[in-house]
Amino acid sequence: MTKTYPKASRPSLDNVSVSIEKGEFVFFIGPSGSGKSTIIKMLLHEVSPNKGRVVVNGKDVTTMRSWKRPHFRRSIGCVFQDFRLLPNRTAYENVAFALEVIGKTKAVARRVVPEVLELVGLGGKEHRYPHELSGGEQQRVAVARAFVNRPLILLADEPTGNLDPDTSIEIMRLLDRINRTGTTVVMVTHDSNIVNQMRRRVVEIESGRIVRDQARGVYG
Amino acid sequence: MRMKYVLTEVMVGLWRNVTMTIAMIITMAVSLFMLGGSGLLYQKVSDMKDLYYENIQVSVFLKTDVKPEQRTELETKLKGDSLVKTVDYVNKDEAYKRFQQMYQDAPDLVNAVKPDQLPESFRLTLVDPEQYKQIYSQYKDVAGVDEIVDQSKLLDKVFGVLGGIQTFALAISIVMAMAALLLVANTIQVAAYSKRREVAVMKLVGASNWFIQAPFVLEAVVAGLIGSLFGLVALIALKTLGGGGSLSALEGLISPISWGDIFLVFPLMAGVGAVVSAITAWVTLRFYLRV
Repeated sequence: MTKTYPKASRPSLDNVSVSIEKGEFVFFIGPSGSGKSTIIKMLLHEVSPNKGRVVVNGKDVTTMRSWKRPHFRRSIGCVFQDFRLLPNRTAYENVAFALEVIGKTKAVARRVVPEVLELVGLGGKEHRYPHELSGGEQQRVAVARAFVNRPLILLADEPTGNLDPDTSIEIMRLLDRINRTGTTVVMVTHDSNIVNQMRRRVVEIESGRIVRDQARGVYG
Repeated sequence: MRMKYVLTEVMVGLWRNVTMTIAMIITMAVSLFMLGGSGLLYQKVSDMKDLYYENIQVSVFLKTDVKPEQRTELETKLKGDSLVKTVDYVNKDEAYKRFQQMYQDAPDLVNAVKPDQLPESFRLTLVDPEQYKQIYSQYKDVAGVDEIVDQSKLLDKVFGVLGGIQTFALAISIVMAMAALLLVANTIQVAAYSKRREVAVMKLVGASNWFIQAPFVLEAVVAGLIGSLFGLVALIALKTLGGGGSLSALEGLISPISWGDIFLVFPLMAGVGAVVSAITAWVTLRFYLRV
């Protein structure tokens, strides 16, 4: 597919074609402005390609009506560099909020949220506010929120961008564990350390084109 | 739980920006008060038109020196006219009585006039009040006729004034409604901004659009409904307080506005207040949140 933003001199993604299997763990790497983030946005149906198709979970996102987007998003979890937690809610409430706004009852939240917080290693810190947690812990809350609804896909946009190397590795272990439950993980990063350690599929993008697609790759 | 969540959000939203909420409610109240007043006036005017035009009379005044046979001849002619529904003869004494009644507030004038000075007349109701001109041209030169007066001309003036007041009230209502509209749009923007993090998360995890929008839209609707309540209070105040003052001068001309009329016009005010607020909020959100 091709995506050109208005006012851009060259396409952000130029004739890119990539296929990700269910249960895969894929890194998208490349310098800033190479078009990595555009891929995430397309998978989320935030932007549409000018040419070509985006198919997620067997659904053609390109032709999807915008009113179907909310329901579609429930099958995708998202983690970002800046965590995007609600500062006036505790860890538990942040995760529960994601459930409640899609219509799950409080009873469901009471059952599921402690479970997922335990899974991400935050057992005992449920009632801390984001500012009382370290960066790594905040990102764990974000991962818990993304995963609580058991999505088919987890998108991670530079999830370790704000974290020190040790904490980054812990978050990667967590994503790896989530991947082992059968969840497809798509991660955008330029953290070479992590890519080299994980030895997973690497898709390298430069100036909107795929320059490398390697199973068990390194940052290069 | 979802209902409770939405309602809590509405209350929090209204409190968070309480000065703006008050401004919104006041403009809404004034606008809806004017709208309600205009509606009442419209209703009254059409009632009155029915009433007055039904009983509208054409007066054929006779010369003071009219001869009895001229009068009888005219009366037969009028009674035989197919355009005329009823003919009513008013002699000098009768005319004086009516005159006294009409000007009871001006005793000097009443004392100055003697029954003799008042003309006799025939009061006609027409089959079709519009056909006054034909009656006029037919009878104006008949012997003994002094003047023919069409009361509907007078009424037209009165209705003209009332219609003017109504249009004025409606115009103010519309101007205030535009101010209210902008305030609603602004309030919703501020509310959406202060909840931008929540909204971003909700969009991310796939909350439905209505669920994201509902608290904002309801916030505007609640303000609109409170505004319409204040508008109603203003109308009630006008009836209770104004009834004794300037409005009483118009009494007898305008049929009095009943409580029933006021409570009938309230659903109109509440409906317009709620719907206008809801649509404004929704449109604002579409631009501002892109949901």
